[in-house]
Amino acid sequence: MLERKGHQHPLTQMIDEINHIFADIGFSFAEGPEAETEHYNFDQLNVPKDHPARDMQDTFWFKSKDVSEPTVLRTHTSPVQARWLESNGAPCKIIVPGKVFRNEATDATHEAQFYQLEGLHVDTGINLGHLKGTLEYFFSKFFSGKTEVRFRPSFFPFVEPGVEVDMRLLEGDSKLAGKWIEVMGAGMVHPNVLKAGGVDPEEFSGYAFGMGIDRLGVMKYGVEDVRDFYSGDLRFVNQF
Amino acid sequence: MIVNYNWLKEYVGQALPEPSEVERLLTEHAFEIEGVEVVAGETVIDVDVLPNRSSDCLCHRGIARELATILDVQLEKDPLQEQLTLQETDKISVNIADKTACPRFTASLVTGIEVKESPDWLKVRMESLGQRSINNIVDATNYVMYAIGQPLHAYDADLFPQVDGTWQFGVRYATKGEVVEILPEGTSTEPRQVECIGTELLIVDESSNTPIGLAGVKGGQYAGVHAGTKNIIIEAAHFHPTITRKTARRLGIVIDASKRFENEPSRELPPFGQQEIIALIKDIAGGQYQGTVDVYTQEKKNPTVEVRLRKTNALLGLELTLDQVRAIIERTGTAVADSSSPDTLQCVGPWERTDLQIEEDFIEEVGRLHGLSNIASVAPTQTTDLVINPRQYYTEKIRQLLLQQGFSEVITSSFQKKDKIQLRNALASDKSYVRSSLRKNITAALDANFAHTDLLGIKAVQLFEIGTVFEKGDTGVGEHLSLALGVRQKGNGYTPKDDVPLQAACALIEKTLGKNTPFKWSIEKGVAEVDLSEVINSLPLPASYGQRTEREAATYAPVSPYPSVARDIALWVQEGVRADDVAGALRAPAGDLCVRIDLFDEFTKDDRTSFAFRLVFQSPEKTLTDGEIGEVMNEVYTVANEQGWEVR
Repeated sequence: MLERKGHQHPLTQMIDEINHIFADIGFSFAEGPEAETEHYNFDQLNVPKDHPARDMQDTFWFKSKDVSEPTVLRTHTSPVQARWLESNGAPCKIIVPGKVFRNEATDATHEAQFYQLEGLHVDTGINLGHLKGTLEYFFSKFFSGKTEVRFRPSFFPFVEPGVEVDMRLLEGDSKLAGKWIEVMGAGMVHPNVLKAGGVDPEEFSGYAFGMGIDRLGVMKYGVEDVRDFYSGDLRFVNQF
Repeated sequence: MIVNYNWLKEYVGQALPEPSEVERLLTEHAFEIEGVEVVAGETVIDVDVLPNRSSDCLCHRGIARELATILDVQLEKDPLQEQLTLQETDKISVNIADKTACPRFTASLVTGIEVKESPDWLKVRMESLGQRSINNIVDATNYVMYAIGQPLHAYDADLFPQVDGTWQFGVRYATKGEVVEILPEGTSTEPRQVECIGTELLIVDESSNTPIGLAGVKGGQYAGVHAGTKNIIIEAAHFHPTITRKTARRLGIVIDASKRFENEPSRELPPFGQQEIIALIKDIAGGQYQGTVDVYTQEKKNPTVEVRLRKTNALLGLELTLDQVRAIIERTGTAVADSSSPDTLQCVGPWERTDLQIEEDFIEEVGRLHGLSNIASVAPTQTTDLVINPRQYYTEKIRQLLLQQGFSEVITSSFQKKDKIQLRNALASDKSYVRSSLRKNITAALDANFAHTDLLGIKAVQLFEIGTVFEKGDTGVGEHLSLALGVRQKGNGYTPKDDVPLQAACALIEKTLGKNTPFKWSIEKGVAEVDLSEVINSLPLPASYGQRTEREAATYAPVSPYPSVARDIALWVQEGVRADDVAGALRAPAGDLCVRIDLFDEFTKDDRTSFAFRLVFQSPEKTLTDGEIGEVMNEVYTVANEQGWEVR
């Protein structure tokens, strides 16, 4: 039969799914600008100018004649953490799915633009156990099967302690089942980030995490080349 | 950082487990391992040292110390615990213009050495790390850097002019336009001339004010060590990480030395570098150590940090006792004392750990050394207490509307070849602008996809995108969300007929979202675009996300790069025979190359129904020939005839 209905792009399908999964446990969907100031993209997140930590993210900059303060195409969705804390304070429980940009050579696993999912939960008494439980809940729903999560030591300037997160799908016949897969970086929000957002780190603590939604798509659907997400090609989109 | 297993063992001793266990321990408690392999007969481990540990772990001693901490053993040999026995000399002077930029500078004089090949053990060590052995002196400087992380540089003392019997070093900023000659890079054999902008820190021969190296970044050929060198001066210093980094980045020089300096190793390190290399040179090049000058003007000690048990458990989600926390922190070499506050420890990290600055840094140590696997999950609680995001709510609503109307969604590049706002540092010349509209990309996608309508089983291409576009604003770069949709019904481009379904879709969106909403559509050549931010801002705040969209599980198969070919077949069948059954019967003879069978026409006349199907063929491996498809179609006709269906 000739097709009468259109197909939704897998990224926005996933974002809708992610939003519903997190909405059920009280996370609000937050957003911020894609053209972001250096202040929010780096400074407020404990990534000082000329610090080697900036090497972790190759950055697109706007020309100074076009902007009143140094501005980048955001390299991560984390600036929304800083913006949200500044405007709304703590407690806070948000996810930020959104487009981000990295100035790096593209290949089957790297695109200069991709979608990231940020999560931030700040409240009294929040610890790494809450992070672990929340991620296990999310992955179990998202991959439709019981999933466990493990942490390994890592470093991101905006968290301390920082962890690398691996997940393992425990059931189902998916190709993912039974294997530990590195999925994201996370950690306890750095006190400097809380302070920059006007939140007292003596009263509140929180976790933050960030992962690539494109990468979730690679895992969920078996997409082999992340550049296909942005090809505008219906031979790709219409498979979803 | 590539580390040699036997070298690690020299420091850790017999307590060091097998390489596979080293890999596991480091992965679980410290760093990711990129790989383990055998090079030059030695087992080497590629350790991905984290940025916060690049100050102390870009060397064998650092990784060995980390392993000792994890294993809870003492290092058998620790170069950083040795008693310093350097002697002063007045033969070398150092004049530092900016003490913040260069807080410490040491230089040693060794006379009567012999430059020759390195001994085999040293050659093997260098080769195992992927380094070419040069000669015993150069190898010794590299060896010490890989051993304890201190970059060093050796000069031929006889090629370095003396003034009144002393060698005079200077450290100062470059002047604008000053040219510095540095060692050849990569495969080049010619020295590189670097023109300074004035922010670079230089090491100079003070006697003539001649630049002899870019401090912390790269040395020059000035007074270089050669085969006949007899007397040498060895420099080991500490340069400001930011200054080093800026110069290194600007000139595109990222080498072992600059990478170490920009990660701020401890200022205590340079004399240990001297002590190590002096002993090594005595061993492999002979000579007499004459003494060291050590200009250390700005000390930086690790702070005393109060670490609270309550805070430690509160962040990690553990229930450790104070004694457990104390024992773990002590394993790192931290000096731990009781604080006057209850359940609190006063901690001073070992001097080489410049990363241990705040309470959370120590809490991280406790977490990873105790084992992150000990952290128990806390399940989240269900709640409806949240803020509904209007943008997500309304864009999802529009998506579902457009999908119902046969529009598919694309997401295209935010970069353009030409547009209004250009980036300062583009990835490529055809991606140097950010888009101010989605129109161009939608038009391009309509064109590109029309070639695949048969393969997609569609008559017309209908698609849309919702995405951010950028424009110049009063205070900087402004942006808004844009919706663009497009229709293409003919292969040779836009026809006015395309506007009919387009306008219908636009009208449906307006009708569904509300009549009073300001939709300022721009409709042109089969593409409609609207500022969706403006629309959403005028809509009421939604109370909930509503019903969840049910979706079937999808799996993806790569798109074949080879062209598809379509063949049509029309058949008379008895009235009442279902099209699905006919298509089903044709499926088998059509074979694996047939990627889809679509019904595109049907009518009934005199008890008979005519079905017209389009069969689309495509190979994942090659371009199909007419002959190959003809054969398959003959099979299809045969089956149709066997069923008693008349092929029209």
